Amino acid sequence: MPDVVVTNLRKEYGGNTVLHEVSFTIKDGEFFTLLGPSGCGKSTTLGLIAGLDKPTSGSIEVGDVVFVSDRNRKFVPPEERNLGMVFQSYALWPHMTLSQNLAMALNIRKVPKVEQQRLIYDALDKVGLAHLIKRYPHQLSGGQQQRVALARALVYSPKVLLLDEPLSNLDAKLREQSRVWLKRLQADLGITTVYVTHDQEEALAMSDRIAVMSNGHMLQVASPNEIYERPATAEVAAFIGRSNFLDGTVVSASAGTATVRLEERGEIINVAVSGDAATGEAVTVAFRPEKIHLSQTGGSATPGSIVLDVDVIGTSYVGSRYEYDLKYGDRIIIAESTTGTVEGAAKLVIPADAARLYPRADVVSQDAAELMAVTR
Amino acid sequence: MSTLTDTKKPADRPPTPDYPAPRYRRFLGVDRSNWIFWATIVILAVLVLAPVIPTLYQSILDKPLYDQGGNFTLENYGRLFTEANFGQVALNTLMFALLTTVLAIAIAVPMAIVVVRTNIPGRRVFGVAMQWPFFISSLILGFGWITMYGPAGFISVEIRRILGFLPWDLYTIPGMAITEAVALAPIAYVFCANALRNSDASLEGAAQTVGAGPFRILRSVIIPMMRPPVVYSSLLVFSMSLETLSIPLLYGQPVGINVFATFLYNNGLQSIDPDYGILGAASTIILAATVALVAVQAKLLKDAKRFVSVRGKATRPRLLDLGWLKWVSVVAIGFYVIFGALIPILGLVFRSFTKIFTPLQNPLLSITMNNYATIFQYPVYVQSIRNSLIVAGVGAILVSVLATVAVVVARRSSFRYRRLIEYLALAPNAMPGLIIGIGLFYAFALIPFGGASFIQGTIWAIIIGFGIRALPSAYGSLSPAVMQIGEELDQAMRVTGADWLRTFLRMLAKLLTPAFGAAIVLTFVIMLKEYSPAIFLGSADTNVIGTTMLELWVQGNTGSVAALATLQITITAVFVGVAGLLMRGKKDA
Repeated sequence: MPDVVVTNLRKEYGGNTVLHEVSFTIKDGEFFTLLGPSGCGKSTTLGLIAGLDKPTSGSIEVGDVVFVSDRNRKFVPPEERNLGMVFQSYALWPHMTLSQNLAMALNIRKVPKVEQQRLIYDALDKVGLAHLIKRYPHQLSGGQQQRVALARALVYSPKVLLLDEPLSNLDAKLREQSRVWLKRLQADLGITTVYVTHDQEEALAMSDRIAVMSNGHMLQVASPNEIYERPATAEVAAFIGRSNFLDGTVVSASAGTATVRLEERGEIINVAVSGDAATGEAVTVAFRPEKIHLSQTGGSATPGSIVLDVDVIGTSYVGSRYEYDLKYGDRIIIAESTTGTVEGAAKLVIPADAARLYPRADVVSQDAAELMAVTR
Repeated sequence: MSTLTDTKKPADRPPTPDYPAPRYRRFLGVDRSNWIFWATIVILAVLVLAPVIPTLYQSILDKPLYDQGGNFTLENYGRLFTEANFGQVALNTLMFALLTTVLAIAIAVPMAIVVVRTNIPGRRVFGVAMQWPFFISSLILGFGWITMYGPAGFISVEIRRILGFLPWDLYTIPGMAITEAVALAPIAYVFCANALRNSDASLEGAAQTVGAGPFRILRSVIIPMMRPPVVYSSLLVFSMSLETLSIPLLYGQPVGINVFATFLYNNGLQSIDPDYGILGAASTIILAATVALVAVQAKLLKDAKRFVSVRGKATRPRLLDLGWLKWVSVVAIGFYVIFGALIPILGLVFRSFTKIFTPLQNPLLSITMNNYATIFQYPVYVQSIRNSLIVAGVGAILVSVLATVAVVVARRSSFRYRRLIEYLALAPNAMPGLIIGIGLFYAFALIPFGGASFIQGTIWAIIIGFGIRALPSAYGSLSPAVMQIGEELDQAMRVTGADWLRTFLRMLAKLLTPAFGAAIVLTFVIMLKEYSPAIFLGSADTNVIGTTMLELWVQGNTGSVAALATLQITITAVFVGVAGLLMRGKKDA
């Protein structure tokens, strides 16, 4: 099975650019996820790969087959691309039985009837529904329909499997189980898969690589671990997991470290940087709630840690841990901890490797900012 | 990438079965689906433009357009207003249309509010009763009104006997407007009632929670919300009464009150030597007016959709209680239904079974089947019923097929001009029936190599004319059905390997079957009632029920008119009933 190579893909709708010059390569057999909030362009990208829409410019190739290219104005319609796709609504044809739903692709490909029966049985068996072969879609539960949709997309062994939020209509428990099952099935088949979701947990759990998208841009393409541990931008840090953000200005920079004055109270801290930071640059310091330590005295601080004075204004017990709301200047910082006994004035310790420095970015949504203002 | 590389992988991977995607053949570099798109748009464009272009052309020619050596001139427009007195006609039309609109809205809007939003008794009956114009054409309503309320009508005679005089005169512009308003009120009603049903009932609930009573809610919530549908349905009624022929022909003709449609009728048909220039110029002006009105309607409808607050959640509105006023409402609605529609129609049916129909003599004494015998004795009359059935039957199927393809191309294809297809399919809404008749007459005359004789005066000419008229209704009834089918179903089909045509045949066509059946019923009924394009397109052999009724009416044979009207209503009712049963049976299976 071949690689999918996407180059400078751009899509406009009536002068409105929804996808900006996106390029990426999906490797053979890879589980590749497009992750982002609604309207970020992930479904547009998937639709362009499937051929359901024509890009404004750019090209898509699978192996040595050019699907679409603006260089020679080539466009292969979806029916000639030999892809498998599962839709959010499953899109099972309601007037056909499961067997007929699966047979459609095989009939079109003129597969002999005897072989068709074998293939349909195999595909339905793979998703554990071979016994319902004569049923109509409306006689099945949502979870079963979702599996039929997958079987329908796989029965003709397409080159690439496209999945458009296939789990989003399932209830929470089933969704978690389906995640594991779907990932295992994909790995067994070794089929190149493009998966679209807005659910970051889903993306982290299933993917070989994730492309984080926002406003039609691809912010970062990397493995789940790297995306979580080393987000490329403040936006990625905000969208994947939770992060606290503090604004500041670089006062001096040397190789590997930047000295930053925090805007809130003028405290000076040192943050490790991978690239260069320019003196005077407006920056945002980000750190995740579960990577920081809260204590009454700050005794656990290791060398190089950042220590901030905060006030505890609220504690909530959320099952496996405690969550603190901390007041730092006008900001609210969230911290997680295994104990719930810290109160009043306290020390917040941010280990050196937990803080990351980004160019200044507005990552807090309007709604959230207004809520914070009310809390004060 | 520019060089061809050997992509065969080493043979170590397991042999995966390979079922390559199908290749669809292209003819002249265009695939078969695109050929269908183009065919659809060409057929629609020909149908819509065939009546329009020759009309515009004729309006600036000084001779009939099929004669040699005509010159371009603008004189026709001048003569229209000097010689032909078109100014007076326009004024009459305007007054008639305005009065009709005001009356129709005055009937429809309060009725819609009361029936949909208050707890008057018999709401469901009234809701169903408002569908009567579906079965009865305004021509038949006109006959019925004259039979009952005309100068020698059954009720008029009785009133005159009691009072010594008759306090109304149908053969005036207000008389015409009242009848037309009764005929058009249900259209305004349906639109307003739907808007009310779709609007979010929790708005009223919200008003109740802050302590508003039923009248306060009516005044502050419901009536302001009604403004868009009222404006829209006013425009609809106005433009329909601008082009209507039936009532003005029956009422205005005898006393010389002319409106647009009767002007065309008189100048095109009644005069021995029709002045084609004037006919063309008048048609062009009327067409310009109706097109402008329909364009405004379309714009308003788009805006109105933003007003109507539709929620996915069905909230059952709490019905308002009007107190004693509800009985006033019931009486008012009952008066409209009984005296506006029921009595004239029943009177007409009764008339068809009597020799003389007057209160001065007990009609039961002159009961007869002669009126029906007359019709069935003369082959031309029987022929007209057969023609109507053929036109409606064949036409309904053709129009529904065309409309289905048009909707699916317009809504479910990547065809570059799909928007245009929708405009073309809805365009006949702006084309009065008489103008379609006149325009097609010209268009057929222009067919080269004597092709005109193959279609002019044949039943196919009638089918084309009526079909154009019925197309927007068929399109409008199918469009929501197509939009209800999730687009992902198409996309799944395409990705699986079906091209557009196969997607249409294998899936959309099957899922659309019930809507297609409903469109056939709708267009059949519309085409059975239609007659105005046939006035110009018909010949002695191709009369339909409507034109025959007019003929008999002019001859003074009102008994046979009543009989034909009764037959037409019966055919409609039986057809709708049987179709309803058939479709229900299918749904159960």
